[in-house]
Amino acid sequence: VVKMTSTLKGITLKGSAELVAEFFSFGINSILYQRGIYPPETFGRVTHYDMSLQLTTDPKLKNYLTDVVSQLKEWLFECTVQRLVLVITCLETNDVLERWQFDIECDKSAKESSAPREKSIKTIQDEIRSVIRQITATVTFLPLLETPCAFDLLVYTDKDLVVPEKWEESGPQIITQSEEVRLRSFTTSIHKVNSMVAYKRSDSM
Amino acid sequence: RMDLEDDTTILTTLKSFNSFISQSEPPRGAILTAPPTLQSQYKRSFELLEAAEKVQSKTRFLQLDQEKKQMELSHKKARLELEKAASDSARDLEQGRNQELYARIKRLEESEAQAMERLKEQQETQRSLRKALDSLNKSLEEKEDKLSTANQTLSSLQDEIRDLKLKLQSQDSTISTQGLEKEELQEKLLLQQRKYQDVSQLCQSLQAAQSTCSEHVLKIKELERRLVLQEQDMSIVKMVKSEAAKVPELEKELKRLREDNAFLRENRENCSLLKEEAEGLRRKLERAEKTREELLSLELDKEKLAAKLEAWENLGQSSGLNIKSPEDLFREVMQIQQREITLKEQNYMLNSRVRSMERSQSELQSEACQQRACTAEEQRRREAQDSLVRRLQKRLLLLTKERDGMRGILESYDSELGATEYSPQLNRRVKEAEDLLQKTQSHNTEMEAQLTKAQEECGFLRLQLHTVSICVCRGLRFRQKIEDLEAERQRLEQLNGELEMRLEKHTLQGDFDPAKTRLLHFKMNPTAVAKQQRQQEVDSLQEEVTRLRELVRVVQESGAQDESSVLGLSLSLPPSKEVLELRKQKESSELKNQRLKEVFQKKIQEFRTVCYVLTGYQIDITTANQYRLTSVYAEHMDDSLLFKKGSSGSMQLMETEFSKTLGEMVSLHLHHQKSIPAFLSAVTLDLFSKQTVV
Repeated sequence: VVKMTSTLKGITLKGSAELVAEFFSFGINSILYQRGIYPPETFGRVTHYDMSLQLTTDPKLKNYLTDVVSQLKEWLFECTVQRLVLVITCLETNDVLERWQFDIECDKSAKESSAPREKSIKTIQDEIRSVIRQITATVTFLPLLETPCAFDLLVYTDKDLVVPEKWEESGPQIITQSEEVRLRSFTTSIHKVNSMVAYKRSDSM
Repeated sequence: RMDLEDDTTILTTLKSFNSFISQSEPPRGAILTAPPTLQSQYKRSFELLEAAEKVQSKTRFLQLDQEKKQMELSHKKARLELEKAASDSARDLEQGRNQELYARIKRLEESEAQAMERLKEQQETQRSLRKALDSLNKSLEEKEDKLSTANQTLSSLQDEIRDLKLKLQSQDSTISTQGLEKEELQEKLLLQQRKYQDVSQLCQSLQAAQSTCSEHVLKIKELERRLVLQEQDMSIVKMVKSEAAKVPELEKELKRLREDNAFLRENRENCSLLKEEAEGLRRKLERAEKTREELLSLELDKEKLAAKLEAWENLGQSSGLNIKSPEDLFREVMQIQQREITLKEQNYMLNSRVRSMERSQSELQSEACQQRACTAEEQRRREAQDSLVRRLQKRLLLLTKERDGMRGILESYDSELGATEYSPQLNRRVKEAEDLLQKTQSHNTEMEAQLTKAQEECGFLRLQLHTVSICVCRGLRFRQKIEDLEAERQRLEQLNGELEMRLEKHTLQGDFDPAKTRLLHFKMNPTAVAKQQRQQEVDSLQEEVTRLRELVRVVQESGAQDESSVLGLSLSLPPSKEVLELRKQKESSELKNQRLKEVFQKKIQEFRTVCYVLTGYQIDITTANQYRLTSVYAEHMDDSLLFKKGSSGSMQLMETEFSKTLGEMVSLHLHHQKSIPAFLSAVTLDLFSKQTVV
């Protein structure tokens, strides 16, 4: 990767889609680890973006994530995805407790012109790293998840998109009485990802 | 000397005096018939001296004799008094002993009553046991047996009382024998009186006898105490024996009860397990009901919302805004925005128009100014021309007058001279003057024309000014309108901002425009899977609950019928390995506990006896935080001290019958010195001294 960054100065649509998909893969893993949705012993340590990250070793979860992320990569390449949301639901009450929302702004003009944009992968990765750091830091203010919870990934796409097999339409799973916190954003100059987290106000629980 | 002695002594002294006189006569005679020689004189004097000495010694002897007699008398008196005192003390002692014995009888009766109470308690416990264990009807009979045995013990106790009474009688007899002894001693005393020399010896022997007597009394007391102890021991032994006889039977019963107990315990565990499960299931059911209620409430909400929606729709229909859904709202917003945009555009146009108007106005104003200046100039010019006209008219008047004058002069000339020589000349001049007149006239008309022209120009300018002012007015009105529009624009902008903010918030919360966006998720997502698993779990648990409920019902029914079926059913539920292990552990721990208890009891008994022997106090715990101390040397069994432990750990002496008699010691050791051990030691010493000295 380091060699690539030293040689490649620009970024193409394909490269951008891959970078963003990779970010989602690591970001989702981080959130699942930090919020304790899966037990910490089912995670393994890896080094990426010059930082140590946790990746799941649970085969079922792994399969699910690769399925979703590969589909997402496709949509990112087509610039048809608008938003990715990680919803954390309480299993006892079926209440939505947290929503991690990643708004994706696609520069659709990149589909026509294949000329690479002038932004080095290194700076993009630096931006991604700060976003993941912030996700890790949110544990300090988010309310503790005391009940068993499960997560779901929602993808907001363009209307004209054909729904692929294994996918189905869903509700937005909005939190009643939520607090929202905007997190950092990063851009590959083709895809801009704005992150934010909404969580159920603790006094209303 | 004679007056000093009493009657009896007088007699003796007279006798002695006579004897003295008879004895002293020869020496006196010897003195009278004094020998001639000094030697003999000396000898005689010596003899006389000796004789005097003898007399003196005799008198002393007599004196001593008298004293002795006196002593004897006093001794006799003392003896009598002593005997009286001894008999009194013996009587007192006897009475005291009788009282003591009566008290003991009372105490025994009390203990009997206590035993009765205990018996009742035992019966009660038996009854409770009977209730606890339905099948223990036989124990009642046994208890009755026990009751009879207790009655037997009661009778035995009464026998003991009788024995004690007999003993009392025997003691009375011993006392009487002692009285006989005393009589003997009195006889001896009489003998001693007779035998004067032996008196002192006899006295000593009597004293010795007295001391031995007291020793005997002490010994008797001690023996009595021992006897009582022995009797108590005997009764204890009897009780123990009777109990020991029951032991095997009880052991058998115990074994049976243990078995029963184990079985019941097992049953109870099963029951508690089932209960727990039932409880869990009930809770689950409650939760399910709650969710159902929630569902109901949600349905209600839904209906409410539907009503609201309908209201909205109605509103939409009534207001003609056609608001049915967020899309309509969105559309509305969009329309508002578009309207705003058009308004903005209009605003801009109006603004530009206003600006152009303003510009034209300023231009017009400047033009008006110019025009005004022009008109002012024109006026000035007109005025100048007016003045010129006036001057010219004046001149014309002057000229006409001059002409008239000239004409007059000419006519006068004509009249005077006639039209001969000068007439051509004059004609010429007239013509010239007429020309001039014509010229001035033409000039005048020209001037007049110029004036009218200027006036016309002025009128035009005035008209122009008027139009300009109208234009300015209109411009002001336009400005007003522009300002209004500007205000409306700002209001709309604010509204727009608000709506945008709301839209932003909605997007932050995850709302989206269904017209443009489609929301997808993976079918087999972890939440769905987890929910499904949960549902399965709940279903299986519910199934189990129904099954267990059925089982519980069956167990309860069959439990009412007979035991064996319960046994069979409980056997159908084999206890897990863990349960067995735990039971084994529990048994071992119970055994350990039992052993510890035994050792502890032994040790505590040892400790208590050591405490009793060393400190002289038997310490009992009557109730919580209350300690009763009974001294070894206590005069009565009831004499005890009661201490209470305060909240801060300090001990406080409670008032008892016994402690009331110790006021002095209490005030000295407890109030003044504040030392309980000193007080206890003082009490011990006091009681000890009371017991040993009679």
